[in-house]
Amino acid sequence: MGEDNSFKGDKNGKGDKNGGLSRRRFVQGVGAGAGGLIVGTSAAARFAEAATAMGPVLKVGFVSPRTGALAGFGECDPHILSLGRKALAKGLKVGDKHYAVHLIDEDTQSDPARASQLAKKLINDDKVDLMLATSTPEVVNPVSDACEAAGVPCISTIVPWESWYFGRGAKPGQPSPFHWTYHFSFGGADFYRSYLALWNGPVKTNKKVGILYPNDADGNAVRYHLAPGLAKAGFTIVDPGGYEDGTTDYSLQIAKFKAEQCEIFNTFPIPPDFAVFWRQAAQQGYTRMVKIAQIAKTGLFPSQVEALGTLGYNLSTGCYWHPTFPYSSPLTGLSSAALGADYERSTGRQWNQQVGASMSLLDVGFAALERSSNPKSKAAVAKAISTLKMVSTVGPVDFAKGPVPNVSPTPIIGCQWVKAKPGSKYKLDLVITEHADDPHVPIAAQLVPYNA
Amino acid sequence: MIWVSQILQGVLLGGYYALIACGLSFMFGVMRIINLAHGDLAVLAGFLVWFIAGQTGINPFLALALVIPLMAALGWVLQRTMLERSLRAGELVPLLSTFGLAIVIENLLFEQFGADTRSLAPYIGGLSYDSLTIGGQIYLSYLGIIIFAVAVAILGGLHFFLGHTNLGRAIRATAEDIDTAELVGINSRAVYAAAAAIALATVAVGGAALGMRATFAPYAGPAQLIFAFEAVVIGGLGSLWGTLAGGIALGVAQNIGATINTHGFLIAGHVVFLAFLALRPFLTSLNAKGRIKALLRRAA
Repeated sequence: MGEDNSFKGDKNGKGDKNGGLSRRRFVQGVGAGAGGLIVGTSAAARFAEAATAMGPVLKVGFVSPRTGALAGFGECDPHILSLGRKALAKGLKVGDKHYAVHLIDEDTQSDPARASQLAKKLINDDKVDLMLATSTPEVVNPVSDACEAAGVPCISTIVPWESWYFGRGAKPGQPSPFHWTYHFSFGGADFYRSYLALWNGPVKTNKKVGILYPNDADGNAVRYHLAPGLAKAGFTIVDPGGYEDGTTDYSLQIAKFKAEQCEIFNTFPIPPDFAVFWRQAAQQGYTRMVKIAQIAKTGLFPSQVEALGTLGYNLSTGCYWHPTFPYSSPLTGLSSAALGADYERSTGRQWNQQVGASMSLLDVGFAALERSSNPKSKAAVAKAISTLKMVSTVGPVDFAKGPVPNVSPTPIIGCQWVKAKPGSKYKLDLVITEHADDPHVPIAAQLVPYNA
Repeated sequence: MIWVSQILQGVLLGGYYALIACGLSFMFGVMRIINLAHGDLAVLAGFLVWFIAGQTGINPFLALALVIPLMAALGWVLQRTMLERSLRAGELVPLLSTFGLAIVIENLLFEQFGADTRSLAPYIGGLSYDSLTIGGQIYLSYLGIIIFAVAVAILGGLHFFLGHTNLGRAIRATAEDIDTAELVGINSRAVYAAAAAIALATVAVGGAALGMRATFAPYAGPAQLIFAFEAVVIGGLGSLWGTLAGGIALGVAQNIGATINTHGFLIAGHVVFLAFLALRPFLTSLNAKGRIKALLRRAA
């Protein structure tokens, strides 16, 4: 694995004279060792044999969290990747040239350090032509950083774009520092539009909003960028203050929301914290007062809401994909409805939002390769992404339009978890209640009050 | 009024911490093993109760009655096959082996049950959110009261068991001096295995409490370990009543911290924990070696 060479002193005498190893050599040696260990377990080997038969090969890395705390996001990826591989089995035609495609998927185990390590392995050992990454800053940001540093084009999704763009060091009003990395995802403005549409809608309230935002990156982002806008739009914001993730008692916040009679409740917590909060809120009589319970970041997946029992009915949330979206996957040709049904049929599980999002990542990635003048040239691929304009499974993606360079915002559509109709295989349904962010998406039902 | 309410909520929270910490405290008191898989074993018990209740439709309390002997058997097997061997290899090895066990449990649960979040709350209906109102201002949840009572009963029961039964006395003797205990005819292997079984039986109850109060998922175990560990350290390592006191001190400190400033919840708990750790050498009456030894001296 190269340790033998790396650990010897520098021949030119720059290293330690006593024959020890310089710090730089040591770091390189350790890096090579760690890289080598991962190669042993790499998925790349599986595709190595089929590779040579079809001429030039395009290698695409796909990084997502499949195990660990974020495993809910990656749960659908084996299915989506198999759909993608089937569609690409005959290769990809770019211009008049034909390429075989290797899709190399890796699991970050929900660990940002491992995400970074995997990205470097995909870049240096597998020599990928394009990197794809999805789901949470813990996955996407380290992978994007590694690609930016190595000059490898990278497309990512499902992180609020502000956390991806500003969180990685870009400054408002200044030119983008990123040349290789691109991101399509929802942002603060999308939540804002959705919330205004829902809270000024058919459910009448006293316009007092109790906010439970944690003291973490997402919580503070919405506290300083979303809440002031809502206040300007005529809502009274009641903020008991930030709290730390992992808090196990919320009596104080609940007492405050009750005292102020907040009929709208909004939160961006990590999912296990919300279950504890919401049950306590029910114990202490707050939930009976709530007319709109608007949750984000939790309640993305059916299991998180099912775990709440009857307290989960009528929670209002947002989605980034739904099987009733009017968009199809250009890569596989599947409509959103067909994609959702296919997922439910082959896994036996209820559809979830990430199914469409992971599909759209493959859509966008391969569209960029197709439209590049030379998919084996990293600069040409990056250039193709920067001007890419297309419709993916989650809707239109356009990297040329902004709001900032390298970013294409995608919609957040308001929806509500309701008790499934009798005869349904599942306990809950997610129905769309507003479409301010993308009027092409059909509304299925009016928002109903939490205690309806 | 807010202060009274906050402190009462903190006491109930402390009961929950004590219940989660009970098995950890017992295992350390008897075998000197810091079980890093403790949180994951609790999550495993939660999954077992959830699975049985979901498959058969029986009440989760009844399902727990089935899971307790299952977990006890698992404790016995773990002690005989793994902990016993690692104890022989020195003090650090049990730390490493239980850490490895934690990873194995997490990934087996993930393989078997997937990544979904689970809870026992849907099976207990209104009990998960019903409460007792005092003076229209203070709400005490029934579930919180039940968990607190169960914690007191289990810790009290264990205390009685150690002081007044033959097996209890054998466990104390083995904990104090394994060689002398063997000289007087105690089979220390059997005693340790019994102690591990008892510890995991209490973990089963802790896991069910976790599942009813909150949610769990295959990788949720380590997060449960931290408060349990703090409760054990505040109360004195290996001391059973101390664990209850430690849990309550932690819960009350956290809620007082949150009342002063919402950011203060976790930090107040950690400060109390560190303060006890720093001051412990001066609190000679609360000897760090714990109540099990004090009890032993009294008996002698």
